[in-house]
Amino acid sequence: MVLTDQEVNFFVSTIRNASSYDFSEYSEKSLKRRLQKILLDNNMDLLGLINKLKTNKDFLEQTVKDITVNTTELFRDPLIWQTLKYRILPKFTENKTINIWHAGCSTGQEVYSMMILLNELNLLDKAKIFASDINTDALDAAKKGVYKYRFNIGYLDNFDKVIKENPFNYDEYNDVPYNKYFKIDKVSDSIMMNDFLKKIPIFRQHDLVKGENLYFAKFDLILCRNVIIYFKYSLQNKVFKLFHDHLYTNGYLVLGMHETMLGEIASRFDKKGQAYRKK
Amino acid sequence: MYKALVIGGSAGSFQVITRILNSLPKNFPLPVLLSLHRLKHVRSGFVEALSIKSGIEVIEPFDKDSIKPGKAYLAPSNYHMYVELNKKIALSTEEPVNHSRPSIDLTFETAAQAYRDKLIGIILSGANRDGAYGLKKLKQLGGLAIVQDPNECQVKTMTEASLKLTTVDHIFTTQQIINFLQGLK
Repeated sequence: MVLTDQEVNFFVSTIRNASSYDFSEYSEKSLKRRLQKILLDNNMDLLGLINKLKTNKDFLEQTVKDITVNTTELFRDPLIWQTLKYRILPKFTENKTINIWHAGCSTGQEVYSMMILLNELNLLDKAKIFASDINTDALDAAKKGVYKYRFNIGYLDNFDKVIKENPFNYDEYNDVPYNKYFKIDKVSDSIMMNDFLKKIPIFRQHDLVKGENLYFAKFDLILCRNVIIYFKYSLQNKVFKLFHDHLYTNGYLVLGMHETMLGEIASRFDKKGQAYRKK
Repeated sequence: MYKALVIGGSAGSFQVITRILNSLPKNFPLPVLLSLHRLKHVRSGFVEALSIKSGIEVIEPFDKDSIKPGKAYLAPSNYHMYVELNKKIALSTEEPVNHSRPSIDLTFETAAQAYRDKLIGIILSGANRDGAYGLKKLKQLGGLAIVQDPNECQVKTMTEASLKLTTVDHIFTTQQIINFLQGLK
């Protein structure tokens, strides 16, 4: 089944009229694909879906969750974590507090990665961790901090690269045991984050499209990785503006490995790799 | 007259793709979109390995990069690579399709929608069926479909699956693919 652009627009305007969600500035290709998948999974045609969206609030909420993508890993892209470890986080050593916002935290692996790294750098005590996502199911999973083990053995490789090894000095090796931060239970096929970590973050539902800062705070560091790839250029710019407004000067915004900031807003940051420092 | 070239490959395609890129002249008139499976934990180094011998620049694009002739765009590890109708790259971390991310099908299908009859698609050696559906879409939208000769492939599954689904324009050996591409104006 191939949807036309008009059909996708029809879906977007139905959602917009029936709720506070607005997908009109989402990237076309992925939005179309997500919508096709939803129709397939529900075994519905577009008109059937539209009618149900108009009359069933729960179904609408579920559809919004299904539209959004939730891919994340512990220490996904170790290069970025090494940059955080050696170049960015050490700059905050003298701070009284370090405010960090994970915008689009999905199921929370990035948040736990950050807390683990901060703890290894003795910075966790002064960190305030905020984490938000549009998808409340993803947030519930993030609060639980339990992940599948079998499909995620790569997590341990990533952990070793970021926490145990030093890419600048191969002789250095910190043998940090995994159970300092999480338990691996092969029987139940799970990786369970330790309680002391789970208590720290403040998780909230938040839709970046609405352009609000729900924490009423300013941040030293904002991570927003593999989120803006789903947004059109116009919406990306609004989101960057939001981040700029709520970063301290010299605070950092970190994007995903293959995301970049374009246009006028980019001149208000110093870019080094995936890290953008607010001028 | 063609506007883009899209190539899909998996197991056994690395040497083929290296030879093809090596043979392309610096002023190759088309952009090349590469959707290649790689080992899950070989995340970096691939683009460098391909670049060393390539006649044209090979890059792992950023989301929303414009697609320009004479450059090869390698789908980044762990992302799907789409072509938007405005001829820009779109990346996505949606779930794997046929156990694959990048999915060759998705790159081919979206490239076909953007370039229609101005697109050349080539499926190379590989151990699964990814790409077969994408090549079919490409052909349906008027593109030129080429499959590497299965007799020459290290692993035939992917090319045979493509041939089963689509009546292609050419079944070429690597050398024939190279000759064909060098003849493009």
